[in-house]
Amino acid sequence: MNCEEINLWLDTLLAEIEEIEVTRKSERRVRVDVPASSLPALLELLKGKASYVHLSAISCVDWPDDEEFELVYHCWSYEAKSLLSAHTRIPRNSAQEFAHYVSVYDIYKPAAFFERDIYEMYGIYFESSPYMEKFILTEWNGPPPMRKDFDAEQYVNDTFNWADYHPQWLQELEEDGGGIAVRPEDIRL
Amino acid sequence: MRPENYQLVALPNSDEYELFIGPNHPGIEGNYAFKLKLDGDRVISGKADAGYLHRGFEKLMEGRLWIQNLAIVPRICVPDPVPMEVVYSLTVEDIEKMEVPLRGQWIRVMQLELSRIASHLFTFGGHAATTGMYTPSYWGVADRDLALDLFEELTGGRVYHIYNIPGGVRRDIPNGFLDRLSDYLDYLETRQNDYDNLLFTNQVFVKRARNVGVINQEQALEWGVTGPNLRATGLAFDVRRDDPYLIYNELDFEIPTQTAGDCLARILVRRDELFQSVRILRQIIKHLPSVKGPVRAPIPNPLAWNVSMGESYCRVESSKGELAYYTVSDGGPKPYRVHVRGASSMHAVQVLENMAVGQRIEDIAQIMFSLDACPPEVDR
Repeated sequence: MNCEEINLWLDTLLAEIEEIEVTRKSERRVRVDVPASSLPALLELLKGKASYVHLSAISCVDWPDDEEFELVYHCWSYEAKSLLSAHTRIPRNSAQEFAHYVSVYDIYKPAAFFERDIYEMYGIYFESSPYMEKFILTEWNGPPPMRKDFDAEQYVNDTFNWADYHPQWLQELEEDGGGIAVRPEDIRL
Repeated sequence: MRPENYQLVALPNSDEYELFIGPNHPGIEGNYAFKLKLDGDRVISGKADAGYLHRGFEKLMEGRLWIQNLAIVPRICVPDPVPMEVVYSLTVEDIEKMEVPLRGQWIRVMQLELSRIASHLFTFGGHAATTGMYTPSYWGVADRDLALDLFEELTGGRVYHIYNIPGGVRRDIPNGFLDRLSDYLDYLETRQNDYDNLLFTNQVFVKRARNVGVINQEQALEWGVTGPNLRATGLAFDVRRDDPYLIYNELDFEIPTQTAGDCLARILVRRDELFQSVRILRQIIKHLPSVKGPVRAPIPNPLAWNVSMGESYCRVESSKGELAYYTVSDGGPKPYRVHVRGASSMHAVQVLENMAVGQRIEDIAQIMFSLDACPPEVDR
């Protein structure tokens, strides 16, 4: 099959499946909205039958107003030359410590890195993902920092005292009548 | 992890031992650690340890204006910063449905290719240095510096240019710039023979790099390898040709491939790619004067710019591989979410961990550098 045939075949197939919504944004970009329960099956189908062998990325977006996380799986087909973004939403579970979802590592190996990253930054636990230990924020014990309700500026102001920062070079400057143009308490990130 | 937090691990009585490489070591272009378990000088397993360059850019970007973020994005990859600016701008333009004027697109491609040359020159030198040859690293850095001079003239910055903005580029090229670029390309071509003799056909290097760190095409596709590392396994895939952006479909260039998939194949792909970039730049020098018009589309007041609601996933071919940004806007003056898919995020972690198994300790640095991973792309 050539590019156009694969794309046509896929469009027909996806149109038949209920619950999912397909938008072809441009020649090489497809957006699919799929319920969380059917996403692994869709990816399995895409990889096995429609040549989408490359998982380009998994992106996570936090929507606290909807109490949901949006997960976006970007898959690329080397044959169809098309990038499909599968959007799904999972509950945010603010009452519990972690939101939960299933790993797609058995379909796409690169998922391991992205799932580990999302677990660290958003606190979404991916069941059966092989590496769920800390990676980038090894010494961080606070809440997952990329969540919208984590205010980095507030955290810095609460944790560090800017007034304590008064090194020798600054004292010398101040003795000469100089100093920092912006007062430390006015510095905003 | 800070040294004071390392904990001694009681291992059962065996010949195996652990060795920590990094976070400062010659195997990679930044701070990155690699923990090895060894038996004699064979690697049994490896574990990548990132986080030394984490600056929370994705979070910072959510708190800054769309235009302010341009000062952040190039810092995500120091040796090759231009694709970062371009792909960020591409996502904003895609959300805003904005057309970049043709001249702006040509100038962007010119920078992208010049940046690719600078990045590859850096990699040659680094790769050679991991095998104990230091001359190519001095040559590479010296020749790269001439490209940085051109960038300084074009943008005012040697490393972080902040020259591409959503809508186009900040200003037109200076008078006579194309002549100086042409001189630089002439110079690079005269150096081709020297580089070949010194490095690419030098048996001291070739024997050292052949059959080391082999990955076949099937494994490469499975593990999400992209860019020159994928082309070294024989798959002629390049985002520039297969998912073209800007004006790449108007340019004539080849996609160099190798089939061996080892360290030597990877560096040879980069060597050929460098001269393909020279070829592209020659076409740009020829065509750019005849492309008239503005270099940037009109944008609203950048300090009060509410980018319309939407999301976009754009990708480019950086010198390291496939680089993509996922940007979401909620219609406000700041991005709602920017996700960076660094080209090295696969190579430096899973691919490296798999590739290291069974290798000898002296080849680890070479394997790391041959993947051309950029740690800040992992950490962000």
